Amino acid sequence: MSNKVAIIAANGGLFDAYKVFNIATAAAASEKEVQIFFTFEGLNLIHKQAMHALEMPAGKEHLTEGFEKANVPTIPQLVEMAQELGVKFIACQMTMDVMGLTKEDFVDGIEVGGAVTFLEYAKDASPTLTF
Amino acid sequence: MNITKTLDAKGLACPMPIVKTKKAIDAIKSGEVLEVVVTDKGALNDIPAWAKSGGHTVLEQKTEEDVLYFYIQKA
Repeated sequence: MSNKVAIIAANGGLFDAYKVFNIATAAAASEKEVQIFFTFEGLNLIHKQAMHALEMPAGKEHLTEGFEKANVPTIPQLVEMAQELGVKFIACQMTMDVMGLTKEDFVDGIEVGGAVTFLEYAKDASPTLTF
Repeated sequence: MNITKTLDAKGLACPMPIVKTKKAIDAIKSGEVLEVVVTDKGALNDIPAWAKSGGHTVLEQKTEEDVLYFYIQKA
């Protein structure tokens, strides 16, 4: 059985962030090795400023209250927790170049890599998830 | 049953009960028992699944008025 979980985060909304980080932290807490490859809008999820103001899908703004009532952790809290549990963040170099972003725009402790970096890690991971 | 440590995770939503349970089990020794108290109903299936992934044993679990109790023996 593989002990590696590989996640691609390709979207940048609030719901996307919860999907990515809930699975990632749960996997890491279950003794799995976890890597997340952040590409295109997915880079929002680890961007120092953007991660604090991720948008709800249009028309779902009324769920803000539901998030508060359910006592769901914030995205910055989940990011910190994921890193503490050893989840590795890889930011996509090509997307960063397109968007004019540098490593300093992101939370500390990330690595920058290309598609091959992720593929090499994911080749024997199970499951590989895309959000 | 000898309880070594109790984790109160009431009111917390997924994935926090699992993350806190993991940290609490890291702090006890093999064979010792952790009591986990939660209100997240997802934990009903999540905690046993989590225990299985780490080889730990759920000795007992019960529900009392919307509060779930788990007794986990560390592997």
